[in-house]
Amino acid sequence: MRYPFALPILALLLAGCDGLPRDAAGTTERIERTHAVRVTVLPGTPDAHPALALLDAFAREHGARLTLVPIHGEHAHKALEDGEIDALVGHFAKTSPWQADIALSKPVARGEPDDKHHPVLRIARRNGENALILATDRLVAGSAR
Amino acid sequence: MSLHGGIPAAIEADVRHGERLEWWTLLWIGSVVVVMALVMGASQAMKSAVIEDMLSLIPAIVFLLSVHWERKRANPRFPFGYRRANSLAFLVAATALLSVGGFLVYESVTTLVRQEHPTVGGITLFGHTIWLGWLMMAALVYSVIPPLVLGRIKLPVAKRINDKVLHTDALMQKADWQTGLAAIAGITGIGLGWWWADASAALFIALSIIKDAVGALEQAVAELLDGTPRALDSNELADDAQALIAALKARFGDVEVRLRETGRYIAAEVDCRPPATIPTGAELMGDKAWRLASLSFRPE
Repeated sequence: MRYPFALPILALLLAGCDGLPRDAAGTTERIERTHAVRVTVLPGTPDAHPALALLDAFAREHGARLTLVPIHGEHAHKALEDGEIDALVGHFAKTSPWQADIALSKPVARGEPDDKHHPVLRIARRNGENALILATDRLVAGSAR
Repeated sequence: MSLHGGIPAAIEADVRHGERLEWWTLLWIGSVVVVMALVMGASQAMKSAVIEDMLSLIPAIVFLLSVHWERKRANPRFPFGYRRANSLAFLVAATALLSVGGFLVYESVTTLVRQEHPTVGGITLFGHTIWLGWLMMAALVYSVIPPLVLGRIKLPVAKRINDKVLHTDALMQKADWQTGLAAIAGITGIGLGWWWADASAALFIALSIIKDAVGALEQAVAELLDGTPRALDSNELADDAQALIAALKARFGDVEVRLRETGRYIAAEVDCRPPATIPTGAELMGDKAWRLASLSFRPE
């Protein structure tokens, strides 16, 4: 066969167009099953409310509600990476040292600051949970408007 | 054309065609790099594809440089001209191809070992937030078309002018469109939640690229070590070189005949007294007479 990739790609595209993207670890499905979105707010985030409101909207869309998980700030990023929580709310710079390990949203309820080292309110998600990431990206984009 | 410089008239038009193809390659692949860089986001797979595309420009650049040098005349500092620039360019092109394969293997294996889950989120365009994966796939489809077309046009030209650099560049274009398709499969896999799909597809393609690159490197080293001319697409002796040895033996008896290759040209050495009438290139090699750059005789 001349183009061995063509058929599998076409089949995948046709089969998956509707539901793309999905979560690598099935977070959205788990949220719908357990009716809980587990969120941690980093200490020193007095303005977390807009981000929590967006996550609450996401939770309601999936028949769930927010469950605040108290985790010490030092362990929160690791807990997100390990899937112990679904989202982390806090102040992060665009060039945060965590940016490769967790998926940072655009700034919540404001535009991107000129200084990319300036931390602003963002929602961090677990890498690879692309359905949850896209859904929350849409909510964050709406809040910026 | 002089003895040690310039392009023979028989292949001048094809060499110019090869140069035009390489300028088109630089233009098209350059535009692919720009488009891919615009949509790559934080995706490691897309970053790898961009780096691979940038490395794939090397054979085109060294081909253009080597032809430029090949046209230069011999001078007191370089009395044999600059034709071996093509051999050097071939080594560089083969090394670039190997680097692409090695880079892709490293990226894929580390992703699989670390079980990294690639993140492809949303991008907001004209007020709508869509999945970035769709834009990536569109960019990748665009990235597949130029190398697919250019690679196929280059192969017959490379054969006519016996240019291993252009041939290696055609292999590089094959690597380009294959990795493009693998990346589309990978992004689709990410969309389906299969974090391993992207790296696995890239690894599969990388192994095939390395196989091609090792073959090209063997040929490049053989050429630089004055080995008997090799075929364009394998490490076997070239058909026209074997025919030349047979023609020389038929004419001068069972004597030692040595051939070596400088770029696209063959130099032959025969262990016998110079004959009264020296055979012409056309008598010995037919329509590939331009390949025979020199014929020397070494009396006992």
